[in-house]
Amino acid sequence: MSAITQLPQISARRRATDRAMRGVLWTATGIALIPLVLVIYYLIHKGAGQWTSNFFTTDPNGNFFGNHGGIRSAIFGTLELIGIASAIAIPVGIAVALYLTEYGKDSLFANVVRYFVDVMTGVPSIVFGLFIYIVLVVSKVGGSGFAGWKGALAVTLLMLPIVIRSSEVVLLLVPSSLREAALALGSPRWRVITRVVLPTSASGLVTGSLLAVARGMGETAPLLFTVSYTMTATGNPNTLMNTLPVQIYNDIHSPEPAVIARAWGAALTLVAIVLILNLLARAISRRSRMA
Amino acid sequence: MQETRHQFRESLKELETQTLGGLDLVIAQLDRALESLSYSDVELASMVVADDDRIDGRYLEVHQGILSLLARQAPVATDLRIVAALLHAIRCIERMGDQCVNVAKLVPLSGYESPKDKEILDAIERMGNLARSQVSQAKEAFASRNVELAQDLVNQDAEINRLNREIFKRAVEIGDDLDMREWGMFMILVARCLERIGDNTVDIAEQVVFVVTGLFREMASNSAPTT
Amino acid sequence: MIPDGTTSKDPTKMPDAKGPSEQTETAPPREATRARTAEGHAVNVSDLHAYYGANEAVKGIDISFPPNEVTAIIGPSGCGKSTMVRCINRMHEEIPGARATGAVKLDDLDLYAAGVDVTAVRRLIGMVFQKANPFPTMSIFDNVAAGLRLTGQRGSDLRETVHKALRSVGLWEEVKNRLNAPGIGLSGGQQQRLCIARTVAVGPEVILMDEPCSALDPVATLKVEELIDELKERYTIVIVTHNMQQAARVADSTVFMLDGLVVEHGPTTEMFTNPSDERTERYVTGKFG
Repeated sequence: MSAITQLPQISARRRATDRAMRGVLWTATGIALIPLVLVIYYLIHKGAGQWTSNFFTTDPNGNFFGNHGGIRSAIFGTLELIGIASAIAIPVGIAVALYLTEYGKDSLFANVVRYFVDVMTGVPSIVFGLFIYIVLVVSKVGGSGFAGWKGALAVTLLMLPIVIRSSEVVLLLVPSSLREAALALGSPRWRVITRVVLPTSASGLVTGSLLAVARGMGETAPLLFTVSYTMTATGNPNTLMNTLPVQIYNDIHSPEPAVIARAWGAALTLVAIVLILNLLARAISRRSRMA
Repeated sequence: MQETRHQFRESLKELETQTLGGLDLVIAQLDRALESLSYSDVELASMVVADDDRIDGRYLEVHQGILSLLARQAPVATDLRIVAALLHAIRCIERMGDQCVNVAKLVPLSGYESPKDKEILDAIERMGNLARSQVSQAKEAFASRNVELAQDLVNQDAEINRLNREIFKRAVEIGDDLDMREWGMFMILVARCLERIGDNTVDIAEQVVFVVTGLFREMASNSAPTT
Repeated sequence: MIPDGTTSKDPTKMPDAKGPSEQTETAPPREATRARTAEGHAVNVSDLHAYYGANEAVKGIDISFPPNEVTAIIGPSGCGKSTMVRCINRMHEEIPGARATGAVKLDDLDLYAAGVDVTAVRRLIGMVFQKANPFPTMSIFDNVAAGLRLTGQRGSDLRETVHKALRSVGLWEEVKNRLNAPGIGLSGGQQQRLCIARTVAVGPEVILMDEPCSALDPVATLKVEELIDELKERYTIVIVTHNMQQAARVADSTVFMLDGLVVEHGPTTEMFTNPSDERTERYVTGKFG
């Protein structure tokens, strides 16, 4: 056996390849980041100036000249609509995910459900809007044509598959050893779910729901067909409601540059709300988990 | 099926070979001790005494090997019984070596010109042959794990015990000659040493039965005189 | 006659349960000095078959586990020992497609009788797993109390029970000042003892252990083994182990399983000095290729 007298050095070619690969990956990252940074920059650049107290405290008033008003009704409307939609979509979605992971598992029915949920994630949001339009709006169910709650339903349909899918992933991550331990202690299955599975996956479920909320907040198409547009905020869900996406949609088409500027402000507001919700939810999940 | 614990089995086999090799050493020592006795060969006798170191050395080797095996390999079941038996056997071997030394040490004392009694000499010779064959049989029984062979040793040992008592009686009645009487006493001592060697082979036989059956039974014999 | 989940778990209150005074039979001589607490319950497995779908993992087993003793189950991987043990507390049937036939009796109670509440069975027969699995979202206190809370028991003496359980596993001194710290912050050995405390807090009669020390270092292992020795005063213990030296150290009797069947079952000393079956001899001395 020969003695090792010298360790081989890295060849120049390997060094060059290494550098080239790194360069490629950095470039790709840059390409991905640039538009993101640009969007945020533009939003802030064009929208931040709109954030005055007037902006947040007055409704849009449709005037052609003078004060055009703020976007108060739009903000309230969005929050109300998303609130209703989340109240339905999140519990139902998590429940379906629980069924799939705890009870359905690998059965035929569960797999069929999974397939349809996957299909639903791909359905364009406008289709949901149309569906609600035909079923609820045209036939004036509930005594009104366009209504906030109908829009909320459309957004619910949109959010549901996202909540289900992401929740299922998170629930599957809960180690089966924990379920086993709880079962072996003599706990009935539903308690295993409420006391062990859900608390353990809580932060993941919150994040998944947030994804759904963020998606739901920004969709314009379904709202056009179900809630339409109004300028005042009454809080009554059984009638027309103003929402941020629709407000932006309308304002962009205006010939008035001030109104267009208001649209930027609204867009920035929308992004800001999503950000705040995100931070809030993370803070909650961190406190509920033992860090 | 490939054998596992190859290293362990090798070590155990090696240990057994060493131990049983000790029995070969004993046979050699016995032969020389008895020869030195019959020819009153003082030099040969002192060689026997010196060579006992080899048996003692073998004892230490095996003892150390067993401790090492117990500590490192944790033997169980049959392996454990073999290890326990080897420990017991090597002690018997060491004692047998000491008995040979005792015989050899009696040589200078019995003198060159001392009168001898033919009967006693014959009996001693017969005892010596029996002892050697018993040691040999013990080795064979252990190596082949033969329970019948082991149990037969008891019968052979009965014969050695009988010869021992015969020599004793004969020495007591040997006559009035002082030198003769003195010689007779020494022969009693020699006979006793040979009888002890026989007992030790029976001990080894008991170990053989223990290894094979897992049961330890005292085998009849030893020194209770029946006649 | 069917144990339901809401009555107390004291088996003497169940109809058909034998009283706890079964310890009048003669104990082996060297055990005579140990004071039996006369509370033990025996487990009897008869003609147990267990299946994963079409695959038969346990092919007809009869074993009795004597009360207040530690019985170890040894055997090569895949011989069915874990499966068999999981049939005792009816965890086996939680696996989709798995089923078991035969009878498992706690004294005279048939655990597989029709209509029996599975959760009640598991409260009587606790289980400790190979990898310590304390609930990550709960504190040390909550972990030990989990067994009680999960089964719907409340109580002012919850704290009492938790403290007692922690004391009985030797963890009390180490954690008494940080009962609210998260359970997963403990070392591996402490976590396993925490899981044992959690099991013990529920008040079972039998404790099953599935390779409880295989993930622990030697010191932690020895501590758990000490604990097992103490626990058997009060419980009947069945321990599945890959480690033969552990079985030799810890168990009063040992069962050797091979291919879904019991090959030999006897006092541990005999199994390891003079086993009757050739296959046991081969496994125990490591001649298994």
